[in-house]
Amino acid sequence: MTTARIEAPILQTLALTKRYGGLDVVRQVAIALPAGSRTALVGANGAGKTTLLAMLSTLVTPSEGDATIVGHSLKARPAALRRAIGVLAHAPMLYEEMTPLENLGFFARLYGVAQPEPRIEELLRAVGVWNRRHEATSVLSRGYHQRLALARALLHRPAILLADEPETGLDPEGVEMLDELALRAPGLTVLAATHRVDRVEAWATGVVRLEHGRVVEDTASIAVARQGAPA
Amino acid sequence: MNEAIGPSMAVVMKDLRLAWRDRAGWASAGAFATIAVLVYSFAFDLATGDIRPLLPGVLWTTFLFAGIFAGGQSFARESEEGTFDALLLSPVSPTMVYLGKAAANIIAMLVIEFLQLGLATILFDTNLVSLELLVIVFLGTVGSVSLTTLLSTMSASMRGRAMLLPVMALPLLVPLLIGAVRATGASLNLEVGAAPWTLLLAVAALWSAALSVLLFPIAVER
Amino acid sequence: MSALTSTLQRVYGLWWIVLPPIVGSAVMAMIIGALVVAPREIIEGDVQRLLYIHFPSILAAYGAFGVVFVASLVVLWKRDLRWDAVARGAATVGVLFTGLTLATGALWGKPIWGVYWTWDARLTSTLVLFLIYAAYLLARSMADELDEQAARFAAVFAVLGALDIPLVMFSVTWWRTLHPQPIIMRGLERPAMPAEMLAVLLIAFLGIGALALWLGVLRTEAEWLAKRTATLRAKIDRHQGA
Repeated sequence: MTTARIEAPILQTLALTKRYGGLDVVRQVAIALPAGSRTALVGANGAGKTTLLAMLSTLVTPSEGDATIVGHSLKARPAALRRAIGVLAHAPMLYEEMTPLENLGFFARLYGVAQPEPRIEELLRAVGVWNRRHEATSVLSRGYHQRLALARALLHRPAILLADEPETGLDPEGVEMLDELALRAPGLTVLAATHRVDRVEAWATGVVRLEHGRVVEDTASIAVARQGAPA
Repeated sequence: MNEAIGPSMAVVMKDLRLAWRDRAGWASAGAFATIAVLVYSFAFDLATGDIRPLLPGVLWTTFLFAGIFAGGQSFARESEEGTFDALLLSPVSPTMVYLGKAAANIIAMLVIEFLQLGLATILFDTNLVSLELLVIVFLGTVGSVSLTTLLSTMSASMRGRAMLLPVMALPLLVPLLIGAVRATGASLNLEVGAAPWTLLLAVAALWSAALSVLLFPIAVER
Repeated sequence: MSALTSTLQRVYGLWWIVLPPIVGSAVMAMIIGALVVAPREIIEGDVQRLLYIHFPSILAAYGAFGVVFVASLVVLWKRDLRWDAVARGAATVGVLFTGLTLATGALWGKPIWGVYWTWDARLTSTLVLFLIYAAYLLARSMADELDEQAARFAAVFAVLGALDIPLVMFSVTWWRTLHPQPIIMRGLERPAMPAEMLAVLLIAFLGIGALALWLGVLRTEAEWLAKRTATLRAKIDRHQGA
């Protein structure tokens, strides 16, 4: 094991635990991801991947432990933290009765995106939905929903993308686009839960494997200087 | 200032746009209210010669049920499509999200209610379009819809939500209903007793609005 | 803190030994007292004996709803599902005893007032109370035991319900007493109670109170066991690799 670079992790969890009833769905997870890293979160169904992502995206409150993302503690749920993360979840999280343009316009207002129009056009063109921007989202296919969901997740230029099965519903062309825009985008830190183990090689710089809520393999984290330890 | 109110306004505009796009949902609430007023009118017409004393009760039970159904269904969609999570993920505070959603529901409900007032004016041959009554309807709507917005958020993920929502909301709204019915009666010069009913209505409306604003962030925390 | 907790736990550990005999003898004493010891009320007759259940029941119900309120606040604050079990147990007891109050009141009302039910202020507010907590139980039962979010929602509703009670009482008082009433209520301005009646009433407070506590503890325990069963089932599923 090599000595870690002196580098502050952009996302660090400390004994992060989520307990439902008496069952630890996520148990004592401690990872520390450096900025710009791309981590694949793998494990069987029910291993706790989605719950871990939900906690990191502030949707679910941890039972124990904490995490810091871009220097903000999760527990306080600060707006600044939520501004720094983009989330690509199971559900596309889009309003079906609104057009792609209106959807992104709405979320741009929520996030206070400066000069939203050029940003929205840029993203819609990048995900290939620009030509259908005036149609109701409900008539678009599953693949287009996922493309649009990606655009929504990246709209406010987050530092970290948290993704849950990002390849879902995408055709090979869509997957290529996903890699280019998100999974292998320069500068973007990625933590993505995935079943597509065959593709992990193609984009990830490290892997975190969960089993029954616990980390059983971690090639993504950096060693973090312990509190009070001499440099 | 704009920074703080902007997101709420965005939610209001978004919800009103969705309400308009999905007119069927709110139109069915409006249709329900219309049918209710008509059916009351038929049913009580046979039972009593003078149906005017029944009018406040007819109007407010109709408004409450229509508001509960419409509010419940407007939130159900938000929950099914996962977009409510997207709202919570955004940097906007849950309180602002709540204010936006409640305001949109109140506006949509007021539109339906004013149409019903017009209809009842014709059916019951009583002038229901007065400034006093508009204030009463506004207060009653703010109070009831602010509470049902909170309750529909909470019950969205539960089984049997459509039935559960009125069962949860109506007992809590008894004080508001009493205040609203009596104040409406007073404004129509019906015999309603001497209490300051509009004040009771205002207190009940303030109670439910204030508690809903306070409890919403706690309720949506998971 | 931990000393207090452990003392409480030790006391609580005795509940199965201590509570049943206390409850049994108190309830027996109440029944004998109400039926045999207490004198026949001159004006109302034997039906007045319902008072010995009626009045303590509503106090027990208020006590139970107080427990629901506090336990619900703890659920929201601590996210501890044990308090959800306490709140559900207490709410069940509260609804039961509110129902008992309404039922005994109706039975008394028929011979005395001539009607089972009237929209009197106190009757109405008790009925609303019954409806609020029945709705609470219904809403909570719609989701499974371990659903933390459902527990939180139910707790928020319980808080709303508790804070609604003063407003309900206030509004129905205006609604009824400031309005001409067809039925004149005689109310509680009966002459000072004879000593025997008062003594029986005191015993009844004890009996009903102990019974409410016992039922509340049993119900809470049952809720908590259901939660543990669900947890164990989930753990088994996990081990079988489901």
